[in-house]
Amino acid sequence: MEKIKNNALVKKVGFNRVVLFCVLILMYIVFAILSPTFLSYNRILSALNYAYFLGFLALGVTFVIATGGIDFSIGPVMFCAALISGSLLTKSGVPLAVCLIISILVGTVFGVINGYLVAYWNMPSFITSMASMMLAKGVGSAFTKTQSVSWPQSSQENGGFRVLVKVMTGSGTQIPTGLIFLLVVAVICAIILNKTKIGRYILCLGSNKEAVRLSGVNVKKWEMLAYVICGTLAGVASIVYVGAYTTVQPGLGDTFNNDAIAGCVMGGTSMAGGVASISGTVIGVMIIALLQEGILAMGFQKDWQYVITGLIVLAAVYADVRSRKRKN
Amino acid sequence: MGKNEKKGNVFTNNPLVRAIGTQKIVVVLVIILLALLFSIMSPSFRKYATVVSIFDYSYYISFMAIGVTFALITGGVDLSIGTGMIASGLVGGYLITHQGMPVIVGMLASIVLGLLFGLFNALLIAVLDLPPFIGTLGTMMVARGLGSILTGGMSITWPAASVPQGWFRSIFKLTIGNVKFPLGFIIVILVVIIMSTFLNRSRPGRYIIAIGSNKEATRLSGINVVKWQSLAYIISGLFTGIAGIAYAATFQAVAPGTGAGLELDAIAGAIIGGTSMTGGYGTIAGTLLGVFVMSLLKTGLPFIGLQANWQQIITGLVLIIAVLIDVLKNSKRA
Amino acid sequence: MGEVILTMNGIDKSFPGVHALDHVNLEVRKGEVHALMGENGAGKSTLMKVLTGIYTKDEGTITYEGKEVEFANPREAQAAGIVIVHQELNMLNHLTVAQNIFIGREMMSGKLINDKKMNEEAKKLFHKLNIDIDPTEKMGKLTVGKQQMCEIAKAISHDAKVIIFDEPSAALTEAEIDELFKIIRDLREKQLGIVYISHRMDEIKVITDRVTVMRDGGYVGTLITEDSTKDDIINMMVGRVIYEEPKTKSNVAPDAPVILKVENLNAGKMVQDVSFELHKGEILGFSGLMGAGRTETARALFGADPKESGDIYVNGKKVDIKNPMDAVKHGIGYLSEDRKQFGIVVQKSVAENSTMASLDNYMNGIFINKKKEAEVAKKYVESLSTKTPSVDQLVVNLSGGNQQKVVIAKWLVRDCDILIFDEPTRGIDVGAKSEIYHLMNELVAEGKSIIMISSEMSEILRMSDRIVVMCEGKKTGEMSISEATQENIMHAATLRN
Repeated sequence: MEKIKNNALVKKVGFNRVVLFCVLILMYIVFAILSPTFLSYNRILSALNYAYFLGFLALGVTFVIATGGIDFSIGPVMFCAALISGSLLTKSGVPLAVCLIISILVGTVFGVINGYLVAYWNMPSFITSMASMMLAKGVGSAFTKTQSVSWPQSSQENGGFRVLVKVMTGSGTQIPTGLIFLLVVAVICAIILNKTKIGRYILCLGSNKEAVRLSGVNVKKWEMLAYVICGTLAGVASIVYVGAYTTVQPGLGDTFNNDAIAGCVMGGTSMAGGVASISGTVIGVMIIALLQEGILAMGFQKDWQYVITGLIVLAAVYADVRSRKRKN
Repeated sequence: MGKNEKKGNVFTNNPLVRAIGTQKIVVVLVIILLALLFSIMSPSFRKYATVVSIFDYSYYISFMAIGVTFALITGGVDLSIGTGMIASGLVGGYLITHQGMPVIVGMLASIVLGLLFGLFNALLIAVLDLPPFIGTLGTMMVARGLGSILTGGMSITWPAASVPQGWFRSIFKLTIGNVKFPLGFIIVILVVIIMSTFLNRSRPGRYIIAIGSNKEATRLSGINVVKWQSLAYIISGLFTGIAGIAYAATFQAVAPGTGAGLELDAIAGAIIGGTSMTGGYGTIAGTLLGVFVMSLLKTGLPFIGLQANWQQIITGLVLIIAVLIDVLKNSKRA
Repeated sequence: MGEVILTMNGIDKSFPGVHALDHVNLEVRKGEVHALMGENGAGKSTLMKVLTGIYTKDEGTITYEGKEVEFANPREAQAAGIVIVHQELNMLNHLTVAQNIFIGREMMSGKLINDKKMNEEAKKLFHKLNIDIDPTEKMGKLTVGKQQMCEIAKAISHDAKVIIFDEPSAALTEAEIDELFKIIRDLREKQLGIVYISHRMDEIKVITDRVTVMRDGGYVGTLITEDSTKDDIINMMVGRVIYEEPKTKSNVAPDAPVILKVENLNAGKMVQDVSFELHKGEILGFSGLMGAGRTETARALFGADPKESGDIYVNGKKVDIKNPMDAVKHGIGYLSEDRKQFGIVVQKSVAENSTMASLDNYMNGIFINKKKEAEVAKKYVESLSTKTPSVDQLVVNLSGGNQQKVVIAKWLVRDCDILIFDEPTRGIDVGAKSEIYHLMNELVAEGKSIIMISSEMSEILRMSDRIVVMCEGKKTGEMSISEATQENIMHAATLRN
């Protein structure tokens, strides 16, 4: 055990991440044994579809949790963005590129609102983001007059954006380009978190805000930025969501908050702030996606997923609370 | 504060205003203004049926809000009340309609399930020391799934008012001839009086306030803070169950997988009523007034052409404003 | 004075590395106000914590009402009649005065709390003590002084026989102190034993009957207040052998330019009209007793807390410092007395903490230049001889002295010209201490200027070129090192005006 822990590679990746990755593999094997259809390529694609948008949501909320806050608005914000830009695309004939930018901007706007209220007005992040969750739900469905919106298929006009999620080869097999997209963004996030001033200050203020403030750092600005990043990534998530699932219904999206947060805390990002791992978040999201696919494959009710994710969140946060207590 | 102990103006120093509380008077004015506004903008709003409908909407929110007020006063929160309420309504109704149990058993089952959620929250927060919002978030997710798992994912319709088993609906809305009486309002008022007395005049209530005011000082006064903090969440759970019955009595069907977001109506109601997010202060009567603002908005907005989606937007905005006022009030005090 | 009610004899208590109490004695009689005096860290509060069961003693006996006792916790002590009125009040601000006094032992009528009766009882209690407070008022609305009165009333309602006042007057106004003294005299009449911890010499003379003086955890002696002078007491308090050679003359050239000038700084009760100058290359010592307002002055100057008024000049130019960002921009660095809370981010590495205030200089485009960061961190690890296996080590794993060096490194990396050291050697072992002294001397030799807040007399006398003394938020003395003595510093530090 100690030997594995001290291995150079393991040390670099982090022991917990290695364990988590093993859990992911193990889960896949267990599901494959319990349900033979699980091994099919389509199952994997289906799980990945779920992982894409969830991944972007989770990457974003990782920044917020790193500051010691939380964002419960990401799922509905993602839907709100997809509804607004999708409606502009299909009903108002706005060019695709503009719509994609609008998707992202809608997310950014919600991030700015959350960040401003939390950082500059000292409002509790959980209640603030729940309020903007309601705003996002309402604005999204008001914009489309409670109609659902379907984005164009790849074969149709304006369906080209789907290359971000999947590409069909001539022989009809699907290449999951979304995975590449997600991993590229994850790498960028990891760089921002670990190699730039933004990430440095976000992590430090999550750990000890007052000490950072007394070092002459504009903590409010950096704290707000975490929410802006989170919102923006929720906007990006909306693009891959419609790329994978086509149709968006108004008034939904809040269950995805919980899945994304579960992915984060499982990956080793601490709810108390100051500690965050992008690779952990990605693996955590993969586990959640696999779990949901597994539950479906084995013919269980989808609701089991809520229960299990809920328990995962509780267990992960409890473990974090315990380990902090022990350190003090 | 310092030397400005006697600060305030003629209005706030008036003994009657002091006894009721400035915020509550403002909220009453807001309710009157809203009602006037809706009446002016929509003639069809000015009907007895609308009043009954406002009351109908208020019951389940009221019960949730009364419960969550206790969690808020300890300085915590309970996010599981919305999905917990739906789960309670589902399970109770399932026993009645699918298992042929008497209505009273179904109602008891709803309450017991609510209590179980409360116990689970108490364990997570008071015993295991999880942050309240994340602990109850976990319960919220569990409750959401559990309700539909236990009932097989079906929508549940409690017995209609027309069948003998539908008697429980008369608890909330009594129909004599063609006239509907919002009987539930009287029940809610009774519960408010009982819970107010409990909060302000009993030892457990006193200790719940004390914990929210200063947990460490309360502990040092030799009070078992784990026990009384637990009780606050158990009360919240109990009212979640009662709210489940009220919800089932008000609406035709209870749908699985819903309920998320309803907790915000209750929390917003409590905060509008003056309960502080930082704990230590809250009144049940204020919570009821706050709930009426929410149910008035829910009922009234469609009359001026703003549908369900606008209700969500308004809930969000009202919540932000209420919390902002609370934050500003506290920073002024400090 | 009546018979003896409480005797503490030969109390000894050690913590790892510290001999906190060295065979201390204290005797309290009924109907006596007994002052417990000593400099910061003399062991007064430790002794009281041993008495009330927060700490267990290693040796010695406590005799209370003729029986040997040992309390397991403050509640047991309270039940027996020994109560502390804390300096920091433990109040439930949202409850009323009466509800606070009777918390945990509410008066009931049946199942319901009888608030009316509690209000009446509280009123009676206040009447007995001649206190004018409305029992139905919310605790949070009272002034600190009135809250303290409530705390006293609460103690008395517990049937207290011995009441310990821990620096009760620190937060009180003149009128409130008079009222407090009236109550204390009243309690003395009623044959209670009172222990009065205070730094204020004038108060001691006014209110107490006897004085027990402690120094460095040891018992120095007990005097009868009436028969002793202020100087007697001060001499007992400071009569310590100073091992390190104190500085005898200032190292600053007489014509050194003024680098920082503070004029009429005001920030609440703890900073009133404070003015001073800091010269280039100078160590300006800030002396005073606990709660004198030195840290508050530093924080207001640094922009960490809002100030009400006052002008600050850096290098002769008036500057506007609204927040720490402004202060750092003008080359001021602040090393807080509470490192863990305000100085370092413990879960981050030495390198990350070192560049915290100057990250802009360690960027390579949008990326942090970790190599350059590690280099500069390493440079300061070496020059400050910080003991750490590497600059990637998390600061939480370092000792107190080395953590302090990381904070110093943070400001040195920022190249601040003015450094405020707030209790730079608190909680640091002797070896690391002299290293930090050495370092401060090097810094001023390089032309930096230092404000050093210290509660240790020997540190003040050893390091400072000039000394400012504060008491209760005001500057009460300023002297050059050549004219400073322990006695005249202590005089200024206990000066009430």
